[in-house]
Amino acid sequence: MNLDVLAAAPANTAPAATSGTFADIVKLPDIAARFAKVRRYFFLRESTYDMTRRCNVRCDGCYYYEGDKQNAQDNLDPEAWRKLFQAEKARGITFVVLAGAEPALVPDLLEACSAEIPLGAIASNGLIHISSEVGYRIHISVWGNDATSERVRRAKRMLERQIEIYAGDPRAVFVYTFTRENIAEARGVVENLARHGCKVTFNMFSATVGYQGSLSHTPTSLAETRQAMLSLLADYPEQVLFSPYSAAAHTDTLSLHDLYSCPYPRQNQGQFGLGRSFRQYRSDLTWIREAACCVPDTDCADCRHYAAGSAIVTARMNRHIGSPDQFRAWLDYVDTYLAVWVQGYAKEPNLCAVPIAPALARQTGAAR
Amino acid sequence: MPQTQNGLMERRIAEILIQELKLENVTPDTFDVTTDLVKELGIDSMDLTTVVLVLQGEYKVKFDEDNYPSLTTVRAIAEQIRQLQGTVS
Repeated sequence: MNLDVLAAAPANTAPAATSGTFADIVKLPDIAARFAKVRRYFFLRESTYDMTRRCNVRCDGCYYYEGDKQNAQDNLDPEAWRKLFQAEKARGITFVVLAGAEPALVPDLLEACSAEIPLGAIASNGLIHISSEVGYRIHISVWGNDATSERVRRAKRMLERQIEIYAGDPRAVFVYTFTRENIAEARGVVENLARHGCKVTFNMFSATVGYQGSLSHTPTSLAETRQAMLSLLADYPEQVLFSPYSAAAHTDTLSLHDLYSCPYPRQNQGQFGLGRSFRQYRSDLTWIREAACCVPDTDCADCRHYAAGSAIVTARMNRHIGSPDQFRAWLDYVDTYLAVWVQGYAKEPNLCAVPIAPALARQTGAAR
Repeated sequence: MPQTQNGLMERRIAEILIQELKLENVTPDTFDVTTDLVKELGIDSMDLTTVVLVLQGEYKVKFDEDNYPSLTTVRAIAEQIRQLQGTVS
C-alpha cells in the first residue's frame, strides 16, 4: 500500500468517471455481497445517554465536563431508566450508546437498559469491569501509553489495568484517540494490545467549544496521524478495526461536518433520519433538541470524532456512488462502523485498496 | 395521456420500492401511492436513500439530498421526478 497517496491527495481531486448507475455498481459481485451484509443493519436507529455525572478519572479535554450537561442531577433509579428505554424502543430506537461520564459506575442502570434494548455500546475508561450480563460492545478509551495517560488522565498504569480487565472479553474494543501529542506512541500501544489479542480502533481528538489546550490537531499532525493509522492497519489487519477510507475521512483538514454535513439534530433540525429520531439524554433523563449530537459540546469545525463519523459518513451513502471504488470505500467504512459498534458483527477484509479522497463526497454533496 | 404516464411512473416506483425493500403482502397494483413511507411503512432513511439512488439511475435525474425528507410517498417521489425532468406543466 502506498501510504503517501492519501496524504498527497489534493483537496479538489476530480471525481472518477462514473462507471454506470448505482444499480449497476451494486451488481458487481464483491460489492453486492458486502452491500447485502451491511444493509441488514440499516434498521439501526441510535440515541445516546449520559448515565451519570460521576467519573473516576479526570481527562484533559473531556467532552463530558464541558457545557451545562455536567450539572444535570443523576437519576439512579433503575426503574426510571427501564421505563425510559421502553419508551425509546416504542419510538423506534434500536441501538443505544451509553456514555458520560463513566457508565461503569452505575452497573444497575446498565443492566436495566440492556434488558430493554439488546443492541448497544458503552463508552468506558475500562478501569471498572462491566458485568457480562450487559451484552453491549464496550469501548475502552486509550489516550496514549501509560506515561501519557498519567499526565493527561491522571490515572496510573491505565493501559495495563485496562488490558488486565478486558483482554479476552469479546465485547471489548480499545479506542485509541490520536491527539497532537501521542501519534508516535500509537504503535507501541497497538503492539501491546495486539499481543494480548485485543481489538483496537482509532479516534481523533476533537476539541470542545473554546478548548485551548495542546491536544488539538494541526494540518501536520493530521497528516502524521493518517500515516500512522494506515501503517498500523496494514501491519495489524486482524486486530485493527479500521479502513483506509476511515483514515482519510477522519484526518482530512476539514472536519466531518464540513466534509459531509452533519445529520445530527444540532446541525440538522429536519425531520429525516437522525434529525428526526436521534436524542442525547442527560443523566437526569432530559434532552435538548438543539444540543443533540453524539458528542455534545464538541466544536463542529474540529469534529473528527469516531462516534460522529459512524453516523455522519454512513448516512451519506448517496455521496459515494461516483465510482465502484468510491462505493467500496463507503462499504469499508460502514463495515468498520458495524464491527466497532455492534456486538457479534465480524469485520470483513477491506474492499477498497485505492485510497479515496473524502473531497469527492463533499463535491457530490455540493448542491447543498 | 399524462394521467396514464403518471400512473405508469407511480407503478414503477412502487415496483422498485417493493423489490429493493423486500416488502411483503403488497404488489405494485395494490400499493397505495399516498402511503407515508416513513411514518406508515417505517422505512428507514438509509432504505429510502437506496431507493432514491436506484430511481436516479432509472430516470436519469439527480435528487438534491436536501429534498429527501419530502419524498414521503410514491406520489411525491413521482412528482419530484417529473419536476426534475421538466415535464410538470
